[in-house]
Amino acid sequence: MLLEKHLIEKLIDTALSTGGDFAEIYIEDKVSESIQSVGGRIEKANSQKVFGVGVRIAHKLQSVYGYTNSKNPEVLIKLASDLSKSFSDSNLTKAVPLGELEIGQRHKVRINPRDVKQTDKVDLIKRAYKAAKEYDEVIQQVMTSISDSVQTVVIANSEGRFVTEDRVRIRIGINAIAGKDGVMQTGFDGPGTGKGYEYFFEEVDIETIAKNAARMAKTMLFADDCPSGVMPVIINNEFGGVIFHEACGHSLEATSVAKNASVFCGKLGQQIASTIVTAIDDGTIENGWGSANFDDEGYPQQRRVLIENGILKTYMVDKLNSRRMNHQPTGSSRRESYRFSPTSRMSNTFIDNGTSTFDEIIAATEYGLFAAKMGGGSVNPGSGDFNFSVSEGYIVRNGKIAEPVKGAALVGNGAEILWKIDMVGNNLDRARGMCGSASGSIPADVGQPTIRVSSITVGGKKGAK
Amino acid sequence: MNIEKLFAHAQSKGISDVQVFLNNRNELSIEVFEGHLEKYEISDSSSMTIRGIFNGKMGTYSTEIMDDSMIETIVDAIIGSAKIIDSLDDAIIYAGDSKYEELTGLYNEALNNLDVSEKIAKVKELDAKFHAADPTVSIVETMYSESTRSVMLQNTKGLKLFNKVNSAMMGGQVIVKNESDQRTSFDLLISNEFVDFDTDKLSKDIVEKGVKSLGAKPIPSGSYELVFENNALGILLSAFSGVFSAEAVQKGFSLLKGKLETAIGSSKVTLVDDPFMKKSSRSRSFDDEGVATRYKELIKEGILKTYLHNLNTAKKDQVASTGNGFGGAVSAVNLALLPGSTPKNDLIQLVKDGIFITDVQGAHAGANPVSGDFSLQASGFVIKDGVLGQPVALITVAGNFIKLLQDIEVVGNDLKTGYYGITCPSVKVGPMAVAGL
Repeated sequence: MLLEKHLIEKLIDTALSTGGDFAEIYIEDKVSESIQSVGGRIEKANSQKVFGVGVRIAHKLQSVYGYTNSKNPEVLIKLASDLSKSFSDSNLTKAVPLGELEIGQRHKVRINPRDVKQTDKVDLIKRAYKAAKEYDEVIQQVMTSISDSVQTVVIANSEGRFVTEDRVRIRIGINAIAGKDGVMQTGFDGPGTGKGYEYFFEEVDIETIAKNAARMAKTMLFADDCPSGVMPVIINNEFGGVIFHEACGHSLEATSVAKNASVFCGKLGQQIASTIVTAIDDGTIENGWGSANFDDEGYPQQRRVLIENGILKTYMVDKLNSRRMNHQPTGSSRRESYRFSPTSRMSNTFIDNGTSTFDEIIAATEYGLFAAKMGGGSVNPGSGDFNFSVSEGYIVRNGKIAEPVKGAALVGNGAEILWKIDMVGNNLDRARGMCGSASGSIPADVGQPTIRVSSITVGGKKGAK
Repeated sequence: MNIEKLFAHAQSKGISDVQVFLNNRNELSIEVFEGHLEKYEISDSSSMTIRGIFNGKMGTYSTEIMDDSMIETIVDAIIGSAKIIDSLDDAIIYAGDSKYEELTGLYNEALNNLDVSEKIAKVKELDAKFHAADPTVSIVETMYSESTRSVMLQNTKGLKLFNKVNSAMMGGQVIVKNESDQRTSFDLLISNEFVDFDTDKLSKDIVEKGVKSLGAKPIPSGSYELVFENNALGILLSAFSGVFSAEAVQKGFSLLKGKLETAIGSSKVTLVDDPFMKKSSRSRSFDDEGVATRYKELIKEGILKTYLHNLNTAKKDQVASTGNGFGGAVSAVNLALLPGSTPKNDLIQLVKDGIFITDVQGAHAGANPVSGDFSLQASGFVIKDGVLGQPVALITVAGNFIKLLQDIEVVGNDLKTGYYGITCPSVKVGPMAVAGL
């Protein structure tokens, strides 16, 4: 146990002593390890121990949050007491006593990262290096890394929630650089899992993934600059789902909706997308990259159908923001660590399968851009304007994939693009990402089948076609 | 933790030299929404990074639990991590420099002592001014945050160093709305003097920018002359700050390889790293390896003068470390593009047919520091015959970092430090590819 139960109860009581109507204690213990190689040699190896306690108190729409690394009861009680001084309401709320600690165990891990020898981890990234480096003579440099973490959280609140779970994450990064005549281009792949090392030892072939990063770097090295202009864009499955994540997902989080600061405010039950679009945020997927047993307010993670056949069905809502909205919390509260107070965030978010095949989508496009692999992006939820980069792109001409192009960016408006999705494929898959927002950087899956957007602004260095 | 005890135990296990780096942060943040204090956060946290040389290799361990019970874990982990390292790099623990700059004006006790109620009152005052500034202002989020950071370094070579700095930010985001459009506008000020937070000017500037951008639309794709406003240029420069690292150069992923003493920018470009910059929470008199930091010109009138070094990269290049070893890698402290003498409005007047870029978005993904290529979402205003015109949004500007440096024709005098820690003025650059309609 990270802290004694009676101390947690005392912290909650102290937090509520001045009239706060809700108190929450978040305790985190995390051990992580990272190893980095450059040019096939291990350059850095670091392990890290993280420990902290966050105390949050709410009174109506106000909240206060504080954290410390200390385990010392006096320091913790002083923190709760200092925070409670922000409130003075004679109408006291009494905490519900904590029951038995509920242990989340939906996501089973067979090979725990802490039980794996460092040399076995080194072996994985050296194999990845070798496969990428030997892919082609233009591959000049390869950087590989592996990082894993086991995070234990205990969350308790004044409503009697008292839960704990272990969250395991492992990710490998492969960055290949192709170069010729002083010009360099990069290719990247970053497989990850919420399972244990069985994923990398038994389920995926690291050489295949590494070669793909190298192939991408080489393809981009010989690619021409992307032309700019407005055109149809076919966005590939897997990481292509970042488009929904940026363009729409963030604007459906209570973080912006509760303050009436999202373009999707007041649209529940209304059609906001073309009828072929169904989008889901599912934090319950077994061992998903963005899954958990509990959200970071201690309530069960859920599967949320955000948009069904174009109709907006729900927002993603955390407990405190639900107070501003006429909307139940949806188990969507997440945070990077004890250093952040939680807020509503996405988990594993994807557009659901449609009926077109990949080949049909390409064949139906006379001229446009095929974004085979997306980079990251960002959105301004207030205006809905978003951008993201294409890390591997091709021109589509006369219904066929033609020459590769580099340096493309896509910009658009989230509310508009949802209406412009005119084909949805049947090859849904998800990929790993890190999502940065108000409560820090958290693992989040994005996903979709291949889709087509009828028109979107493409920005490239080559200029107008 | 008893550091002497840690050193003794480490050395008894065969670790030849050990260094401890302690980082303590005290933070306060305040958010006001619709006139009410919505969020208030306080924290006091510490972390410790321990590096040790075992069999000539550098092992590392970081921890946030710092009692003596961790000593054995730390030493075992350092040995474990050193054992798997097969890099040919030398492992160096530094004995120190003869002189370290005295940091002045970087820790302002008065800021810490100012009662929190006055800080809250000032944020509420800013919030009220946002609301009062214009009838189109609909939603306002106003924030203040403050942090005091102390770092301490101690090693078995007898070096012991300490720095303490504090800094605060105040700013806000407003959403302005009319019948047909909704836009956001955001800015902030960074300082450790509370009087610097001029709520009149801050609220006026942010709201004015938002109101003017209502109705922003893409313009036809083409090649346009651009003026980058200081904030927008700062975001772009921050995406490429890593190219100056000698580590990136030596390992073959910097586009500045082989470019020392050659012109990489126009003669108007002088870019410095100023580790003693006032009011910056990043300022330091020593780096994480214990090397004295120093002011240096990276680019002088267009010529690349030096890379940034830590002990290791410096040894390979047979030069002295520039004091830029941070977090186990190499990075700048406070990058600044030195200003010229031209006011921002005069930069705009120089443009016949172009765009005044006030914001760029998505630099973390749309800028590739290895190739130097970027294609970024941008917004701003059309410039026609030297006069600002209609607002522009949802365009992209695309180019290459080196080409951008070469295309800087005139440098403004409106120096500003942005959220990403880069200090720069507005600049006028030559034609660049813009995608819009």
